[in-house]
Amino acid sequence: MADEVVRLDKVRRDYLVGDQITTALGGVDLVIERGEFVAIVGPSGSGKSTMMNLIGCLDRPSSGSVLIAGDSTNDLSDNKLTELRSRAIGFVFQQFQLLPNTTAIENVMAPLLYQGIGTKAAKKSATHMLTQLGLGDRLNFDRNRLSGGQQQRVAIARALVTSPDIVLADEPTGALDSKTGAAVIELLKELHREGRTIVLITHDLEIAASAPRRVFLRDGLVERDERGVS
Amino acid sequence: MRILGTAALALNRIWATKIRSLLTMLGVVIGVAAIVALTSIVDGASQGINKSLATLGTNQLNITAMAADSLTEQDANALAALDNVSVMFVQAQNQGTIATRESRVNARLVGVSSQYFEAVKPEIALGSYLSSSSFAATSKDVVFGADAANDLGITKDMLGTSVKLNGQDFRLVGVLDDQAGFGTSGRVYVTIDSARKLFSQYPYVSSIVIQANTPEQVDTLQIQADVLLRERYGLGSETTARYTITNQASLIAAVGTITATLGLLLTGIAAISLLVGGIGIMNIMLVSVRERTREIGVRRAIGAKQSNILTQFLIEAIVLSLAGGIVGLILGEIAAFFLAVLGDWVFSIRLDTVLLALGFSLLVGVVFGVWPARQAAKLEPIDALRFE
Ligand SMILES: Nc1ncnc2c1ncn2[C@@H]1O[C@H](COP(=O)(O)OP(=O)(O)O)[C@@H](O)[C@H]1O
Ligand SMILES: [Mg+2]
Repeated sequence: MADEVVRLDKVRRDYLVGDQITTALGGVDLVIERGEFVAIVGPSGSGKSTMMNLIGCLDRPSSGSVLIAGDSTNDLSDNKLTELRSRAIGFVFQQFQLLPNTTAIENVMAPLLYQGIGTKAAKKSATHMLTQLGLGDRLNFDRNRLSGGQQQRVAIARALVTSPDIVLADEPTGALDSKTGAAVIELLKELHREGRTIVLITHDLEIAASAPRRVFLRDGLVERDERGVS
Repeated sequence: MRILGTAALALNRIWATKIRSLLTMLGVVIGVAAIVALTSIVDGASQGINKSLATLGTNQLNITAMAADSLTEQDANALAALDNVSVMFVQAQNQGTIATRESRVNARLVGVSSQYFEAVKPEIALGSYLSSSSFAATSKDVVFGADAANDLGITKDMLGTSVKLNGQDFRLVGVLDDQAGFGTSGRVYVTIDSARKLFSQYPYVSSIVIQANTPEQVDTLQIQADVLLRERYGLGSETTARYTITNQASLIAAVGTITATLGLLLTGIAAISLLVGGIGIMNIMLVSVRERTREIGVRRAIGAKQSNILTQFLIEAIVLSLAGGIVGLILGEIAAFFLAVLGDWVFSIRLDTVLLALGFSLLVGVVFGVWPARQAAKLEPIDALRFE
């Protein structure tokens, strides 16, 4: 049997705002296997972020089940869900989201420290990761002294440093100029070639085209699931 | 994450927002400083009062004249003849001037009977007390109190030389070290006979002190003394006397009550100022949690548990409060030091004050930090990440 890292079964997510129910996902089935590079594509409001939250163990479905690396998130306590997230998921956000008043290396060390790894070991892994991504000379720079592209690479290093099952990138090029954006996509492709599982969330069809598999969302449902070069 | 790592995050944040952190601490700083300084004032004041009361002994009764002609030496002799009286001395005093060849100042001239020095035992700085030869009828010796000596600029080599009291020559035989005392400023002591010649108020005296054999006899002696004096002046038991009898033991008890009341007042001020300081910290922490909602979301996304967020914010509040407490303690002790110099009492850093100041600021940090920290920890990661 293929190694499933993500399995969504009839996943619904309803939001209650006031007395108004919004259905962000209306019953979605999706399987992602280890080593895949999948783009989740759709217009604004189609449910992409909601899906990312569910895959990213930040949220739980209203109904249906979400299995991440074999574990169901449905009935995990907040603590257990955090442990699963810490082990299985690496996030890359649109706005980079580097921590304030924190250097590049401290950002990359943070997920390891939260896992309970000692400072020395964390520093070593973080240095290694940043050096691999070409930031070996920027270790002690804080975010004000890093360009957008460099910040996003720090964020990617932070996502990779725990060797997660899945790298979840939410509009990772959204805040970058097209050239820097293209470099980030190249980096994701390279990580995929190294065997990582990448889930790329975007509303941009051109960027989605760089992924070998594309899942199209519309109004909270999977409209199309495409494979191969488009 | 280990607790040290979390503490490092909190310190990092406090350092990154220095000015704001300082302002946040200010309430606790002022509160703790005020408490430390006030505690030392109460301490110092009661120290001074108790010291001067203690030198007089708890088995003494002071009988003070309310007018210049209220008490006489004959009254004193009659009192000395009562049962259980071990020591009696009288004082006659008046304002006058003291002078050397260089300068002249006002002072209180106090005439004392020969038992005065052995009963009161004031500390001596230079020379000696009035001796028995001083009390010989013809001798004119004087002992200066510390303040009178300062006022005139008395030095060691002036012992044995002549000084003028109300224009008359006296021989300086000693200087007392009674500065920490209470009400002894600018006094000089001569024999009661000399005093009589200086301000001719015979047979009247300003005060009579009698000492009971034991402290237990003081209360009875007080009643006996009052009865005796009323008899001598033909006063009924209801008539207001022209003298007052004070009992050292009851004075000490009264000082104790005052000190306790002041202590209670201080506790009240302490509680209020720390409450205000604590609310200041809580307020800033709540603002901080709101401002840093995104950061909290990101931390949760990269693996922070609720407990990590809780400790991070709680430590921040505790460090702010404790740092405020430490700064306040230092400022308070500095103030206390200068107050001690001014008020002329012994400065000491009391361990219980230090522990109390630090303990309370720690407590304030915990109590007022818990709620904001819980707010931070309870944020849903998805809401925190969506927060603009
Ligand atoms: N936390 C939330 N509370 C209420 N409504 C939400 C929340 N998150 C998303 N929604 C709603 O769910 C729908 C899908 O949103 P989202 O998953 O953010 O889509 P996308 O990321 O594709 O723009 C939208 O209508 C949005 O307003
Ligand atoms: Mg979105």
